[in-house]
Amino acid sequence: MAVPVRTKSRRRQQLEEAALYPLDWVEERSGLVGALKYFLFRKVPGDISWGHTLGSATLTAFLVQAITGAILAMYYKPHPDTAYESIQYITNDVTLGWLVRGMHRWGASVFIILMFFHMARVFLYGAYKYPRELNWIIGALLLILGMFEGFTGYLLPWDQTAYWATVVGVNLQGTGPFLGPFLVNVLNGGAEIGVDTLSRFYSIHMLLLPGAIFALIGLHLWLVIRLGVTSQPWSPEAAGSGEPEEPRPAREGLVRPARSGGSE
Amino acid sequence: MSVQRKKSRRVVEREAQFKQYRADVQSRGKPFYPWAMFHDAAMSTVVVGVIIGLACVWYFTSGEDPHDVGWLGPRYAEPADPGTTTFVPRPDWYFYFLFYLLRIFKWPDSVILGTVGIPTILMILLFALPFLDVRRERRIVRRPVAVTALLLTAASMGVLTYKGAVAEEATAAGSEAVEQLIEEQNLPEGVRPGLELFLRTCTSCHTYAGEGSSNLGAPDLTTIGDTGRSVEQFMQILREGPGAMPSFANLPEENLRSVGEFLEASKGAG
Repeated sequence: MAVPVRTKSRRRQQLEEAALYPLDWVEERSGLVGALKYFLFRKVPGDISWGHTLGSATLTAFLVQAITGAILAMYYKPHPDTAYESIQYITNDVTLGWLVRGMHRWGASVFIILMFFHMARVFLYGAYKYPRELNWIIGALLLILGMFEGFTGYLLPWDQTAYWATVVGVNLQGTGPFLGPFLVNVLNGGAEIGVDTLSRFYSIHMLLLPGAIFALIGLHLWLVIRLGVTSQPWSPEAAGSGEPEEPRPAREGLVRPARSGGSE
Repeated sequence: MSVQRKKSRRVVEREAQFKQYRADVQSRGKPFYPWAMFHDAAMSTVVVGVIIGLACVWYFTSGEDPHDVGWLGPRYAEPADPGTTTFVPRPDWYFYFLFYLLRIFKWPDSVILGTVGIPTILMILLFALPFLDVRRERRIVRRPVAVTALLLTAASMGVLTYKGAVAEEATAAGSEAVEQLIEEQNLPEGVRPGLELFLRTCTSCHTYAGEGSSNLGAPDLTTIGDTGRSVEQFMQILREGPGAMPSFANLPEENLRSVGEFLEASKGAG
């Protein structure tokens, strides 16, 4: 007999084919499998650090908000007569309702803090510079939309803190020239804070802003993948920081002549 | 035939640098999975853990009663009441820096700087940053202006947030304060109900002869009577709530009138 060649048994081949068939099916029709492979196995600079995890941490905090928010929306009743009671019911009576509302409430603060930390990291690393200017602008938009999420969500429990902070907050925007009074009308849904204001804030808080934030995060990530993340600026091996490094021979002068200059 | 525009040196350099970055990452980089993804996943786990931890501390140290505040604040305050006379307008903590900014400016001349002016300028600077700083340099020691700006921004936001957090809330002035004010400010005895209501409600934002705490740019009202407004005019202001001030149209007519009479009589100690 010749050299034994280990081949996969016929049965194994069939199994592998069956398992991969759905992936191939999706890939052929969408190219998504290739995209995922590119996303996972693309190269990132070798010196990236814990500072670089702040962006994905912010995304995680936002996803926590989206999931807990969707659950809260199943129980919350956005009307001045019922909102406060439904908040009490969620917090005190619904199974684990306290956890969902607590996570949503404190997750908001964590989300905001992480956005600022992430922004500070990007600033410190000079990561807003060419060619990543557009992604800085998208990030700044996300920060402002996130702050508006905080502002609109604050009213929803319809308690004293919520109500008066919003009255003053809306009035403050009203002091702006030209647009101010118009903005107050749009936010309040009328001259006073009441039924229409609450449903308006609710809609803005759970549909309009999250939709915009999701879309902008998608764009933000797309640009991160397309342009890559920056190295630490102080890293000795920062990508793109200078001349390309030539692999040094073990002992100069032994294998080939010592650097004579000339060639790059 | 296309017109060849000559690229400036800056453009040529930055394009070359990015090309170099691409090549370096290709030759010396590491794959995102599993290396970077592990760090991301670990950090995200910490984040979710912290959120759950905060929720637990908040819930288990507080009670069903709105006054049972626990360590991290109550589960909810009293139900909203547009006709209330006691309230403290207080935003969530991440707005404290804006909130405290308003104390720095004086009503009515410059408060618009705090409400609209400075936030607008900050936003414009935020968006314009990549176009203001167009140098290629990323090393921190070579960017003294940028790093100083970052430190100053962080420090001032930190200080303003801290000051907003510990900002004195108006403590309900006792009856001795009422007596003292009537005597010191030469107030007629008839304005006593208005003064009491004023000390309960308006001193959340207004100051009066050292009482109350200044919030949101609200003016001092010690000598507001000197402006020559009538009681009716003061009542109208209370109903409308000019500027950032809330409308008090939900208060009973007699309450509005008593506060109006008190303000009209407020002409200072002198």
